[in-house]
Amino acid sequence: MASRVIVVTSGKGGVGKTTTTANVAAALAEMGSKVVAVDGDVGLRNLDVVMGLENRIVYTLVDAIDGHCRLSQAVIRDKRVDNLFMIPTAQSKTKDAVTPQQMIDVCDELRNDYEYVLIDCPAGIEAGFKNAAAGADEALVVTTPEVSAVRDADRIIGLLESMDKSPIRLIVNRIRSDMVKRGDMLGVSDVLDVLAIDLIGIVPDDEAVITSANSGVLLTSQASQASHAFRNIASRIAGVDVPFMNLDSREGIGIFGKIKTIFGF
Amino acid sequence: MIKLKGMADSVLRCVIPEELPPSGLGEAFMDVMNKGRRILPGARLILDFGARPLPEPLIGSILSDFVWPSGVHVLAWVTYDAGSQETLKRAGLPVSEPSASIPDNARSAPALVLHRSLRSGQRVEHRGDVVITGHVNGGAEVMASGNITALGRLKGLVHAGYEGNERAVVVARSMEALQVRIGGKIGSLDRGSQCWGRGVIISVADDRIQIDYWPQLKNETGWGNAD
Repeated sequence: MASRVIVVTSGKGGVGKTTTTANVAAALAEMGSKVVAVDGDVGLRNLDVVMGLENRIVYTLVDAIDGHCRLSQAVIRDKRVDNLFMIPTAQSKTKDAVTPQQMIDVCDELRNDYEYVLIDCPAGIEAGFKNAAAGADEALVVTTPEVSAVRDADRIIGLLESMDKSPIRLIVNRIRSDMVKRGDMLGVSDVLDVLAIDLIGIVPDDEAVITSANSGVLLTSQASQASHAFRNIASRIAGVDVPFMNLDSREGIGIFGKIKTIFGF
Repeated sequence: MIKLKGMADSVLRCVIPEELPPSGLGEAFMDVMNKGRRILPGARLILDFGARPLPEPLIGSILSDFVWPSGVHVLAWVTYDAGSQETLKRAGLPVSEPSASIPDNARSAPALVLHRSLRSGQRVEHRGDVVITGHVNGGAEVMASGNITALGRLKGLVHAGYEGNERAVVVARSMEALQVRIGGKIGSLDRGSQCWGRGVIISVADDRIQIDYWPQLKNETGWGNAD
């Protein structure tokens, strides 16, 4: 089984790396692939919360690296989505608890059991980023259409290129088409113009993302524009040619959403 | 594969391709040592890493596994990664192209032509002129003792004539930088300026930084008067 290890990164914090990791992992699993999402943000554990698996943690990635348990014992199976697994990290340790070589070893071990290994990378360009990216073959760079986020993404892309990750593909998160039209927000083409890498997904600004992350219910279990966007991204990762969604349409919101729109709820 | 190129004044330029993975560097340097064992001892060498970051352990292993055993004299460790430049400077290693082979008149110094865009965090420092055929993104820096030309969008920080040459100019196809430095002068620009997003030539005149538009060609449309 050819396994792919993908780091989800951004440079800037708060742009949606963890949400992307959780929901792309879930969408890939729903497509039938065996997927593990790894929380690479040692000391600031969040992936378990977003995936609603916080109360299932017994061992963490750092426990496995330190030899306190086997790696397989740190893996949590998501009972709601077949084929979806998660490895939490330690909240009480710092980034120094893991070395790049240890992450490479972890990824190599996971390659034996999973088709996709998605690593949620911490913000920044220091040790945490280097550890999270060390074992990955390819990268998803998440940015929001803000100048500061784009600049940080540019920095990260330069570092990923020098680390020989390929392909490096871009997700533009939290796009608001109304603001783009008014000229108050960078458009996807503006972002691509600066970053000059392949686009793999556009995720609209969607309240469902916040309610999903707070409740630990994965977006892919719902009908919303964001969930549709994450499914599209998963399809493109799997090599399926999916057209980019038209953000002006109500694509992905489902029949109830359409009825609500008609009746003006 | 690492390449050795001959330069003026018997200087060798050792070009380490950015696409060479870090895991392959040791073997590639070993290959250079084996193939160049007759010319390397005592040779004056510029190590050109392009935009590759050089963490301390890598610098250490290059020194211990290549520089010291091969007997080369490294004139410069060239990398566009700003953090690595600081690391090299802290270690007392030279990061600028050797000045001995460059004439005092910066305008006649060999130009550095980069067929690429510079991303945020990348930094180029060169004694002579610099031409970037791509963009200079926000957060990138270019320092040249001579002129700087950006054939793409200029968003990052450029400092032309950084050794005090106020005859140096900055030429940009699309000016989108908030600040430009020439010699000892600093000029700033607002996003609302008429120059924003246009082709400009920036120079020092009357002891201040002045921006002029590119000369307009007859068949060009869509540009206003250049006054």
